[in-house]
Amino acid sequence: MEQELISKKDLLDEKGISYGQLYRWKRKRLIPEDWFIRKSTFTGQETFFPKALILARVDKIMNMKEDLSLDELADQLSPSFPDYELRKADVLKRNIVSHIVLDRFASEEEEEVVYTFDKLLYFYVVDKLLLAGEMSMEEGERLLGMLREHFPKVEGKPCDLVFIRKMGVSSFALLTVPAELVFESGVKVVARIPLAQCVEELKERIMQA
Amino acid sequence: MRIDGVGTVEGDLSAGDFDCNGMTKIRGGLIASEADIDGLFTVDGHLSAGRAKIDGKAKVKGSVKADVIAVHGMFDVNGDCEIEDFRIEGAFDVKGLLNAGKLDVLMHGYGKAREIGGERIRVRRRASGVWSRLIAWVLPRYSPELRTAFVEGDDVDLEYTEAEVVRGGRVVIGKGCKIGLVEY
Repeated sequence: MEQELISKKDLLDEKGISYGQLYRWKRKRLIPEDWFIRKSTFTGQETFFPKALILARVDKIMNMKEDLSLDELADQLSPSFPDYELRKADVLKRNIVSHIVLDRFASEEEEEVVYTFDKLLYFYVVDKLLLAGEMSMEEGERLLGMLREHFPKVEGKPCDLVFIRKMGVSSFALLTVPAELVFESGVKVVARIPLAQCVEELKERIMQA
Repeated sequence: MRIDGVGTVEGDLSAGDFDCNGMTKIRGGLIASEADIDGLFTVDGHLSAGRAKIDGKAKVKGSVKADVIAVHGMFDVNGDCEIEDFRIEGAFDVKGLLNAGKLDVLMHGYGKAREIGGERIRVRRRASGVWSRLIAWVLPRYSPELRTAFVEGDDVDLEYTEAEVVRGGRVVIGKGCKIGLVEY
């Protein structure tokens, strides 16, 4: 699960949008500043975007453009945490997070316990990696601990979760973007997930009534 | 809110209508729905305006965000500019990205931006008199030209522009341009 990038040119071609539109959406804050990643290529400086994030965002903008003005759209897409709270029972019933994760990591909490969005996010991220078959339960437990302890410190700055493994020993890191990480050989980057993407996915899951 | 003469605001200023004449310095940010600025004007923070009219020399150390800005004179910004409708006659230096819905430039002096992007972009240089043509021949570096790394837009119409790359839907490269690469 590596961070895949798409060039601005390819994005415009693929989605049939124009330069002007992209700049306009940037001015309207429909596309966050930090999704614009500058890299040097042999043709000079080019702009890239996180592929999954930008494709989904462009689709959303194109779909919702009919119903909402760009400013209303911008409010809807702001990256701040929504006030969603869900009771544990609802989380289970609606399958926001798999029961495996809740059984293992939240078993001693009762059904009426209410989870705020950030707690749901941590469960969701652990769930995502477990379901992809890339992480063990023990690692999941450590990841959960790490997110609980360190994610609040990131203070809302966009960041990636980096999951590496070398010689059977794994480690997690939160990396504020944009940044490039290069490891020594022998280190496998098991996953690098932009947490903003998880926030979007989780928001969507919760909103699907 | 109106400032005449020499005025310094220690801190941020937020006003509905802001009118200043003379030498005005704001040691913070300025937020205004309407701004009418005449003379020398400095903002240490960000400038955020609905509509702004600037006659004179304006310097913003932060970034600029506005719906409409019309400048007669000099406009220097250290950060980025995001303006829906930007018309400037004079000279400008934007150290960041100039992102404008509609950009209409008539250069009397230098024009510089790190990059320029938007929907409609038009750059012209004021018609030259005898003296300016002489200066251009003797001291070519002093000829007003727009210098930027890239220009990207839907409708791009340039003259006297020096850029590495110009990309757009419709691109017109007029006289006096030195462009590395054009993509359309």
